[in-house]
Amino acid sequence: MKVHGLSEERSALRSVQAMAVQLPEVAGHPNRTPFSGVLTLVDQPSTKPPSGARGHRVILTRAAAVAALPSLLGMAVDYAPAWDGHDARRKCGIITHADVEGPRLHVAGYLYARDFPEVERQMRQCTPGAMGMSWELADAHVEDMRAEIWKLTRATFTGAAILLRDKAAYRDTRFELGAPARREIAACRTFTARAHRTFRGGTTLRRTETRKEETWKARQAKLWGR
Amino acid sequence: MESQTGETLGALTAGPETFEARMEARLEAAVSLFERTLALLEERQSAVAGEVQKIVAAVENNQASARENELERKLEAAEQRIAELQAQRESEAKPARRTVPATTAQFLAKQGLSTLDSVEAGALDAALTGLSLEQRIAVKAQLLRAGVLG
Repeated sequence: MKVHGLSEERSALRSVQAMAVQLPEVAGHPNRTPFSGVLTLVDQPSTKPPSGARGHRVILTRAAAVAALPSLLGMAVDYAPAWDGHDARRKCGIITHADVEGPRLHVAGYLYARDFPEVERQMRQCTPGAMGMSWELADAHVEDMRAEIWKLTRATFTGAAILLRDKAAYRDTRFELGAPARREIAACRTFTARAHRTFRGGTTLRRTETRKEETWKARQAKLWGR
Repeated sequence: MESQTGETLGALTAGPETFEARMEARLEAAVSLFERTLALLEERQSAVAGEVQKIVAAVENNQASARENELERKLEAAEQRIAELQAQRESEAKPARRTVPATTAQFLAKQGLSTLDSVEAGALDAALTGLSLEQRIAVKAQLLRAGVLG
């Protein structure tokens, strides 16, 4: 398992911060179904007050979300039988990829499709776009508890849930089966290459390393394209 | 202190059901007071620090149901505790051995109350009619201390 580092890329169009855990490739794995989704929005108030926020809507700041990305990788996605909340004891998948692109925190990973056929069934049966996502945070720091909208400046992701979008505190989340769109992968790939350079101390990549990077990019594109 | 003792004696003389009902009410009040205090303290502490232990980005009705479940669990625990206390009190209220002064026992035997396992109030009053008010109070106090009178 490889972990690619966190970095910050400020392109001409938008900024992207991303991280990924690369699992070994297993062709036709019967218990792995890729998923992707938008876990939350950053720097935007939630549509409704989240549970545990004492009736306050919340804003997860971009800085807090980016700082918490490492805690998100490897966390489970769970679901409640009524698709209306979290059930930490029904962990049906794992998050292997997370990136903040613009106002959206994208995630991707795998569902344990054979172990939890009901999740895949629900995804096939529900109307497109009906399912969303929800995070679970621990040790969140609120800038001002008396504020009408709580601003979360520090937090740790402890999990995520698949649920009906109207049950999520952020209405604009989504959850889909299948690998993320190419645009999203490209953003992450670009970041990963940049992160590699950062680890090398900002020095110019040698030709062999450039070749390695290109090979890795091609392998990733093939993986996600499947 | 005296008023509490008087209240307890009054409750004892009024009957076990009244005493249990009062104990239940007082326990329930104490439990709810503790819960309110705890919630207030937690709220104040977290408000000062700005820390929140757990937030879940699911809508509030889930929180309500979770809160309801938590309260139900607490209520069950409180009811169980009350039942335990009641059982404990009942076992304490039945002393293994009842000791009544010999003179009192003899006097009551003369009046026809030979067994002291259960003395009815009417029979006792009838038996004590020949005594003065102070003597009647003294006898009743002795019986109360011995646990003959409930």
